[in-house]
Amino acid sequence: MSKGRLRFWVRLSVGLLAVAWWGLSLAQPNPQPIKLRFVSLAWQTDAIKAVKEVVAEWNSRNPQIQVEYQQVDWGSIQDYLTTSFQAKNVPDVFHYESNPVMDFGNRGFLLDLAPLIPAEMKQDILPGAWKTVTDAKGAVYGVPFLVEPLVVLYNRKLFVEAKVSLPRADDVWTWEDLRRVAKALTKDTNNDGRPEVYGCAIPLRNAGNRILNLSVGFGGDYFARSGNSYSVKVGNEEKQLLSTILAMLYEDKSCTTEALTLGSAEVIPGFLAGKYAMMPGVGAFVRQQIVEKAPKDFQWGVLPPLKARTQEQGSVSQTLSIPKDSKYPREAMQFIAFALNRANMAKLAAGDWLIPTRASSTKLPPFNTSANGWRTSVEAAKYLTFPLWQQVNGVSEFRSRVLNPKLQLLFANRLSLEDFAKQVEAEGNEIIKKFYP
Amino acid sequence: MRLGHRLRHRLARFGMSLLLLAFIAFLAFPIVWLTSTAFKPPGEIGLQNPALLPQQPTLDNFRVAVEENGVLRSAYNTLKISVLSAVLTLLVALPAAYLLARRRSRMNQAVTVWILVSQTFPLILIIVPLFLILSWLGLVNTHAGLVLVYVVWSLPFVLWMLQGYVRAIPVQLEEAAAVDGASPLDILARIILPLLLPGLIATGLYTFVNAWNEFFFALVMLKSPDLVTLQVSLARFRGIEGLARWGPLAAGSLIAIVPTLLVFALMQRRLVSGVLAGSVKE
Repeated sequence: MSKGRLRFWVRLSVGLLAVAWWGLSLAQPNPQPIKLRFVSLAWQTDAIKAVKEVVAEWNSRNPQIQVEYQQVDWGSIQDYLTTSFQAKNVPDVFHYESNPVMDFGNRGFLLDLAPLIPAEMKQDILPGAWKTVTDAKGAVYGVPFLVEPLVVLYNRKLFVEAKVSLPRADDVWTWEDLRRVAKALTKDTNNDGRPEVYGCAIPLRNAGNRILNLSVGFGGDYFARSGNSYSVKVGNEEKQLLSTILAMLYEDKSCTTEALTLGSAEVIPGFLAGKYAMMPGVGAFVRQQIVEKAPKDFQWGVLPPLKARTQEQGSVSQTLSIPKDSKYPREAMQFIAFALNRANMAKLAAGDWLIPTRASSTKLPPFNTSANGWRTSVEAAKYLTFPLWQQVNGVSEFRSRVLNPKLQLLFANRLSLEDFAKQVEAEGNEIIKKFYP
Repeated sequence: MRLGHRLRHRLARFGMSLLLLAFIAFLAFPIVWLTSTAFKPPGEIGLQNPALLPQQPTLDNFRVAVEENGVLRSAYNTLKISVLSAVLTLLVALPAAYLLARRRSRMNQAVTVWILVSQTFPLILIIVPLFLILSWLGLVNTHAGLVLVYVVWSLPFVLWMLQGYVRAIPVQLEEAAAVDGASPLDILARIILPLLLPGLIATGLYTFVNAWNEFFFALVMLKSPDLVTLQVSLARFRGIEGLARWGPLAAGSLIAIVPTLLVFALMQRRLVSGVLAGSVKE
């Protein structure tokens, strides 16, 4: 064989080998799968189980995009995310709620999901829920998947004993009706001035959120918008709910003052013991605690939201978001679309005893059943709106430094309603104006 | 007369014992309550007037804590991190404290000021720069990184405490040993260390407990579920609006306090003598 031919065959072989190697490398799957870190706030047994099932199903279907589940608690998530964003070591998907998510989004830490959200998901999720995560320019900083209506829990046995009939679906109770019924349910059998059964117990520790959301039905926003800035306003609309509660606490004495310093968790034992006939304005998820802790013979139910001017309530939504510094935003959105598909969103919501934001998910069990107040809670979610206070920067500081402490003084009868209004406006505006220089 | 005096003495002792017993009961009550809650089913925890002892004891809370939340795994992680932090802190602090106590120079004052200033920094201020440094070193999401943080965090105070213990040891002992031909290393190993043992135990325990109880660094630095520490693991039982899964939380907390109780029970005498020794200066 001549040298020229030999050279030709060598070159051809090398060329073929190179092509074959390239072809093989293309055909071989990437040995290193993408790893997404998913931070979840689910904390109840069923909710954790649901999240783990969703993640496991995704991982088995997507060997090249593996999701690592990390559970963080509600008390630590704000600090956790703040440090993660500052240090640029972020989870790829995280669970939180719309109010702080919008704050993080406005500060540039989150990805605008608007162009990534599948059309089917966009249409199916309630428009009101989308409003909680959309800014004025149309940027969407999270996919809302759970909402929490505030409901009234009642003790069925005490209602029967007091011959109180339940409201009809087409004729719901007003706050005045609640006041009347609470009086009828209050029993002081030995006339010592301390009822053995109170008509209701409203958990009023750190009541800011509860009051802000329930005041929406009275037309009370607590803020007024002027151009691009906001100011605190406590007018007649804002005072109506407060004066109703004060009347029940101190005039009628049908609402226990024991709950002034209690959260929902601490009121439940008294409700289960038959000491309080109703728990108005508590989150729908409290039903899980009732089911878990109630004695077997305890009979209870859920009443629809009370009507003021309307039945509307303010609400935040729980969300899944993607940080701007995530290395795999497209894959993270694929995971969100899977985790929040019709069936999975229903599974996550049922685990948390909350209401899914997809209209189609609410048609699945248990949401379409009357057991444990599911149907009433789903109906209540229809009255949830996006309140003005959620659009205001600095509202968290206003709530913790002014509104909560002043409400505590007001409900403890150590501050008149007029003084409350003046002080909340004056001190609140001091805080809010820092955010709108 | 003598009988009356003896009776008064006995009565006084009896009264004192009663007071002590009441004080012990007061201190022990949270642990008794914790133990009782750990064995109660959810229905008994949610009662308006809960009983001191569980009516229908259950191990279910321990099962949830261990199987669902991996409390044993995180307890092991925490133990490893705490022991390593304590040992490493002492290894670094001991020679430094010895030098600071024995060699008088202007540096001593500067170091003392540095120690005091370092204690005034709020945690939240340093977490981000610290995170960036550890990230650069590739130590984020590792136990080694967390141990490093705990060592650095505890070191100033341990150094401060150990100095006091070293100063309490008469320098004449070392001089006598040196006259007898002992090397500096011999002096440290045979003279100083045995006398310093109570101080080392006290400062070691301080570091151990600090690391054992620490939450925030561990939360921010450790991302993988297999690496998390006990405090982070226990926090997962907390919910919103004051709600929590009290049963599993109590069971997990009971598991969490057992090692610290054991360590304190075993080291109690040495710890007390160590604390007292450090409190007196020559």
